[in-house]
Amino acid sequence: MHKFMFSPLMLLMAASAIAGPRYAIDVDGLACPFCAYGLEKRLLEEPAVERVETDVVQGRMLVEVKDNSALTREQADKAIEDAGFTLRSFEALPQ
Amino acid sequence: MSRRWATGSLLILLCTPALAAPLTSNTALPVAKGEFVAREQILVRERERPDDATVEVNVLISVLGYGVTPDLAVFGVLPLLDKTLTPPTGPKRSTEGQGDLTLFGRYTLWREDMPGRTARIAALGGVIAPTGDDDDRDNQGRLPRPFQNGTGAWGGLAGIVATWQTLDYQLDGQLVYRGFGSDEAYRPGDVYRFDISLQYRLWPKTLTRGTPGFLYALIEANVIQLDRDVLSGARLDTGGTQWFLTPGIQYVTKRWIVEGGVQLPVEQDRNGNAFADEYIARVGLRFNF
Repeated sequence: MHKFMFSPLMLLMAASAIAGPRYAIDVDGLACPFCAYGLEKRLLEEPAVERVETDVVQGRMLVEVKDNSALTREQADKAIEDAGFTLRSFEALPQ
Repeated sequence: MSRRWATGSLLILLCTPALAAPLTSNTALPVAKGEFVAREQILVRERERPDDATVEVNVLISVLGYGVTPDLAVFGVLPLLDKTLTPPTGPKRSTEGQGDLTLFGRYTLWREDMPGRTARIAALGGVIAPTGDDDDRDNQGRLPRPFQNGTGAWGGLAGIVATWQTLDYQLDGQLVYRGFGSDEAYRPGDVYRFDISLQYRLWPKTLTRGTPGFLYALIEANVIQLDRDVLSGARLDTGGTQWFLTPGIQYVTKRWIVEGGVQLPVEQDRNGNAFADEYIARVGLRFNF
């Protein structure tokens, strides 16, 4: 029983240990799930970006970049503008 | 050709974009630069005339949209039609095949983005290419021009569309004009339409976080003025003014949308002995790729 409980936890810890920097990006104008897809694709086209999770309800995107990489506010702004939306805030999350 | 075969233009059916949006008209919501959206819609339409002639129209409408820039999107709309005309007396007549191709662009003139909501106004403009067959025949001879799958004439469209979208509901409205040139002394009637659509989120009832699928109830209204077709200088019994109400439902996810609704005529003022609609049923699927 303990073995099964520990394994996912250990995997999660290991994953966060090797994950790259993460960013929280707030987007204005995003109000339906279908519109979020184009936004995610534009961000994923940035070479540094590894993973994107969208929270349409909060208007927030969590972006994880590759190890030893970074995402600048300008890159995020251009990707969001190309998708037809507006960047409200850009924040690097603590590792 | 007898005027009594005239069925009226099918072009009013084809205002069907590919975004999360109304069932029967356009939206001003964006298509991301470099991205495609697509839509397939099946439409079944029953029409009748005062002398009891009927027309059944089944259409598969394919739409492909592409984001050229954040503000400019282009769309192609191609219908595949299957039509059957049942006159009051005599044998049925039918035709099937592709209709006219509509290519149009949509440019965002103004937008205001806010947290969880957006307001947009866009202009529409494009051409209608005579790609449909306008010379189909059966054992009774050439089918009446208004009954052909293609108009045979080049046309154009222009309009304006506005959208107000929040997490709870979406409101779209548009004004669109479609006009045509002539072909072999046949000129399809011009179309003027005003459409309004309200989509209201039914589920989830309350939003907390994440990107769940949204279930919307929708209600749409279409007011369509269709001028008479003209053949060799004679004005045919086609068109008129129609007011439809469309109740429907829509389930929206990040990758796809499934939807359906029925356009019900509230008021129809037909030109002479023109056909009028009994209903227009639509089901469809849209997808991002």
